[in-house]
Formats: sequence, C-alpha cells, structure tokens
Amino acid sequence: MKIQLADMKIQKLFRKTLFGVFFLFGVIGVSTSVLCIYTVDTHLSEEYESNSRDIAKTIADASVDILLNRNLTALQSLIDQFVEIQGISYIYITSETGEFLAHTFVPGIPEEIRTGDPTSTVTVERSLPGMGDFVEVASPILVGVAGAVHVGMDTGLVALKVQRAIGQQVYLISIIFVVGILAAIWLVGQASRPVDGVLAFAVKLARDRKADSKGSEKLLARNDEAGELARLFLHFSRAMDRDKAGGIPQPDPKG
Amino acid sequence: MGLCWPRPGAASSSGVTDGEIVLGMSAAFSGPSRGLGIELFRGASAYFEHVNRQGGVRGRRIVLRTYDDGYQPDPSVKNTMTLMLEDEVFSLFGYVGTPTVTRVLPMLKKFQERRIYLFFPFTGAQPQREPPYGDFAFNLRASYRQETAGLVQNFVGIGRKRIAVFYQADAYGRSGWAGVRRALKPFGERIVGEATYRRGSKFTGIMRDQVEILKAARPDAVICIGAYAACAAFLRDAVDLGLRVPIANVSFVGSENLLNLITQGRDDGKRYTELLVNSQVVPSYHDVAIPAVGQYQELMARYDPQPPRELLREDYTPFSHSFVSLEGFLNAKVMVEILDRLGDRPERSALQDAVFSIRDFDLGIGELVSFGPERRQGLQKVYYTVVDEGRFIPLDSWKDRFG
Repeated sequence: MKIQLADMKIQKLFRKTLFGVFFLFGVIGVSTSVLCIYTVDTHLSEEYESNSRDIAKTIADASVDILLNRNLTALQSLIDQFVEIQGISYIYITSETGEFLAHTFVPGIPEEIRTGDPTSTVTVERSLPGMGDFVEVASPILVGVAGAVHVGMDTGLVALKVQRAIGQQVYLISIIFVVGILAAIWLVGQASRPVDGVLAFAVKLARDRKADSKGSEKLLARNDEAGELARLFLHFSRAMDRDKAGGIPQPDPKG
Repeated sequence: MGLCWPRPGAASSSGVTDGEIVLGMSAAFSGPSRGLGIELFRGASAYFEHVNRQGGVRGRRIVLRTYDDGYQPDPSVKNTMTLMLEDEVFSLFGYVGTPTVTRVLPMLKKFQERRIYLFFPFTGAQPQREPPYGDFAFNLRASYRQETAGLVQNFVGIGRKRIAVFYQADAYGRSGWAGVRRALKPFGERIVGEATYRRGSKFTGIMRDQVEILKAARPDAVICIGAYAACAAFLRDAVDLGLRVPIANVSFVGSENLLNLITQGRDDGKRYTELLVNSQVVPSYHDVAIPAVGQYQELMARYDPQPPRELLREDYTPFSHSFVSLEGFLNAKVMVEILDRLGDRPERSALQDAVFSIRDFDLGIGELVSFGPERRQGLQKVYYTVVDEGRFIPLDSWKDRFG
C-alpha cells in the first residue's frame, strides 16, 4: 500500500512535467503561429499591393500613346496580358471623363464599380458580389488628364497563402511537439529510475532490516544523490538496529 | 563570280525553292472556334490546289504549312516563331483572330529585316491596319470598324438607336465594341448596355447573366462581337428569355457554324433566327452569277479540300460552302496574283512593291481590289445577310425586316 502511494507520487510528478512541457509547446506554437499570420499577411498584402501598383503604373505609362491613337484594341490586348499575373483579378481603364475604355470583367462591369467614381485613384477595398474581396489600386494616365488604370487584387488569394503558411507552421510544430513529448517521457523515465531503486531499497530495509545491503550493492556504490540516499537509509537502519540492541554503531563499510 | 548570282530557278529567297513557295498559316483547327480555321483553310486550299494542278505560279507549287493555335494567343506566337525561324516560310498567310494576330504583329516588327509579311488575316481589327504595325500586314477584307458602322447606320436608320453590345472579353471584342462606339457618336448616341463572355466559351455554356444585363438596358438592337459557339448560346438564351430585338453578328462569327448550332435538332429554329442579321465581307456564296462565286463553287466541288488530318483532334463536318471558305478562296486568289507579279525569282524584298502594283484588280466579285502605301486593305464593301428557309440570304430591306 505504501509502495503504491509512492508510485502514484512519481506518476503525478510525470504528469506535472508533461503538463509543463505541453503548456510550453502550446505557448510556443500559438505565439509562433500568431507571429507567422501577422508577418505573412502583412508582407504578402504589402507585396501584392506594391506589385499591383507597379502594374497599374506600367499600364498607365504604356497606355499614353495607345490612348492618344485611340487604339482600344491594343489597349485591351495590353491589359489582357497583365491580368494573367497571379493575384490580379481585374483591370479596367477609364477615360478622363470616367468612361470605361477597356476592362476584363465577365459578364459585365460590376454595379459597384460602374456607379463608383471611375476617376478616383485612391486605394479602396471592394467586396464584389459573386466575385470576392479585392483591394483596388489605381494609377493616373498622363497625370490624370488621359484617364486612369485600376487594378484589382484578390485578397482571397492572400488569405489562402496565409492559411497555407499557417498550415505548414502547425504541421512543423506538431512534429516537434510529438518528438518533444517522447523525449520528455524518456528523460523523466531515465531520471526517475534511480529514485525507484532507492525507494525499493528503503521499502526492503523497512520490511526486513536483516536484508541489509544484500542485492543492493550497485545502488550503494553509485556516486550520485541516489547512492548517497541509499547509504543514508542503510545507516539509519543499522543505527535503529543498534539502538534497539543497545550496542555501539558499526562504521559504514563504504565510509 | 557565278556563285554570287543564284542560278535561274534555284532558291532565291527563304521559303522559295525551285519547285515550291511555302506560306505559313497558324489558325484555330481545334477548340470551339475550329470551324473558322478549317473553313478558311479549305477555301484557300481549293484555289491553291487548282493553281498547283495547272503548274503552279511560274512553275512553283504553293505549299501551305499549317499549325493549330486553337484561337489562343500564346500558341499563335509560338507557331509564328516556328514558321519564321525554323520553317523559314516565304510569308505568313490566313491567320485567324484578333487576340492571336495582335500578339503576332510585334514579332513581325522585331524581325522586320527578314521582310516577312502577314497576308490577309481573318480579322477586321485595327492594329494590323494602323501604325505601328500596319506596315507588316496586308488585309483583303473590310474592317470591323466598317462592319459595325454599317450595322449601326442601318439600325439607327430604322429608328433603332438604343444599341447594346455583347462581346468577347479580349482584343477582338474590344475592337468591335470600339467600332460600335465610334459609329454611334455622329448620331449623338452611346452604347446603352454591354455584356461580355470569356474566349473559348462553348454552345453548352449559359449566357443568362449576359442576357439579363442587356435586357436591363432596354436596347433596340444588340450587336455581337464574338465567335459562333458563344454567339449561338447568347442568341438561344436571348430568345428564350424574351429579349425580342434584332441581334447582329459581324463576319468573324462564322455564320454557317452559328446557324448549324442554333437550329440543329430544333423544330422551332425559325424562332431563333427571325431577328438575326449578320454582316459579311464577301458576297453571298449562293449567287453563282458572281464569277468568283461560280469558280469557288466549282473548285470546292472538284477538289473537296479537307483540313490537315494531323491537326484535327475533334470531329468536324465541313460545309460544302460557307462565307468563311469563300473568304479563304478569295484570299488565295489575290495571293496567287501577288506571287505571280514577283516574277521568276520571288524575293521577299519585292513583296511590298508587288502588292502595291495591284490597282483595280478584278477579283470577280464586282468590287475591284486596290492596294497602295496608304491603302493596306484591298476590299471595302460590307454585305448584310438574314436567315431564310434555313440559309443565309442577302438582306433586301432593313425597314421591312426589322423596322
């Protein structure tokens, strides 16, 4: 009964250690994921927005001659090539009067864009029914006197990339977590084995003081805390025997 | 010294040998628009075959090297690279489509020292008619600008001023859209509604959204700038959803393919075609009183040209006659005339002068063909056709039909 109590105490010690490891990994995992989401989201959004702005400016610069020549076919051909870039969902070009000169919308120009201010070059966030969520950047053509180029970037794609990055992060942390727990169990097991030996030795002495050091030579010979503790138990056991017999204590053979 | 001069009849320029002149063609032989490339090829082949069997052009057979681009820009550019740099054809001939041709034109400029010209592409768009690429192409057919201007003028003439546009979301669609917009301006009108579709859409696709968008604009007429599969789908859904206004298509649509799709397996086909009007850039192929049409019918029947077997990946049943194959036939006739004018030693460097030497050339369709430095398009006339008894016939009166 006493032995069972002792075992339970060690298991509780295990539990606390494992809980500690688990908690530590949880804190690391959550904090790393949050940092990862923030970093990936911020960087990707900034990168896409920057790319979109560059594309809008490139089209705006390239459109000047085309627009002045009223060659809308060439203008459409130009934006069709840019809209193939990943993350760019739509492009439209408006004249200085707000007329839509070329665009990539199917089946038509969304109501929100048609009724908005087509001459504005302010970056806006749009949620277009049936299409998704977008960040729209714009660049003026010939400082605005020839119109503006508008480029819509799919924020859903950024969200997808963030999800993918988080997924990879969680996957890595899960592997580290499992390996860490197994390592913790093994290390705690290694550490508790001598303690188990000392406990068993103490129980043996308590049951049968005559047993003395028989069969526990290895434990008593250990040069660590477990060996010290075992020798201390043996010393007390012999001292108690002598007290009972009224004799003089014998010196410890190991010193 | 003798080596400095090519011996008579020897290869004197790339794409020309003692026995052949090789022309290069990239067109749609697969995909939803394959009917256009196949029919254009068949019409041209009928005439080239006829010339070859009669000894060729000054003893040289005309060989048409063909590649499939599926009406997609990237394959078209790749095919052009192959034709220009590997096959080293004499010139390019009979390309199909605006989005493809507009991407190929910069390549012609890039390799301009080779003097490889694009002859008679099957598109009425402006880029190959204007700077900076107009100098690298020669057109035979009327432009989309002329076709859409004619449609708009006729619609406005009968009081149908509220014009909407259904178009392909690319350079071709934009070209037609721009033509309609331009044509409406003198009348003080604007496009009242517009809807688009993606290139490559099939007849099985649903055009309900597009029809609803245009219905909301309450148009008096709709002008479609598209390929036959999508335009037939739009026509079907427009009629089914009660958009009861004239629906016009430009020549690129491929009229027979469209008619075939919209009427096939239907008893009520007339319901879908009674408000249909298509502009054409060649005369009616039924009118054998026109000399070139008579010759076209005769040679198509005699040679029954088939599309290149190695390029066919899907089933296709050719039409005995069509506007597209007649256009290919007329393109080939003018091309042969140009090659003949190059003389016994054809050189690319002499091509432009040979083209410009064509003045009031009688092609046999009633309209004379002329080229010049300021005129890189041989024909100007636009024809209008409607469906009657299951076939396209010339439209006599806009007022009686649509007034």
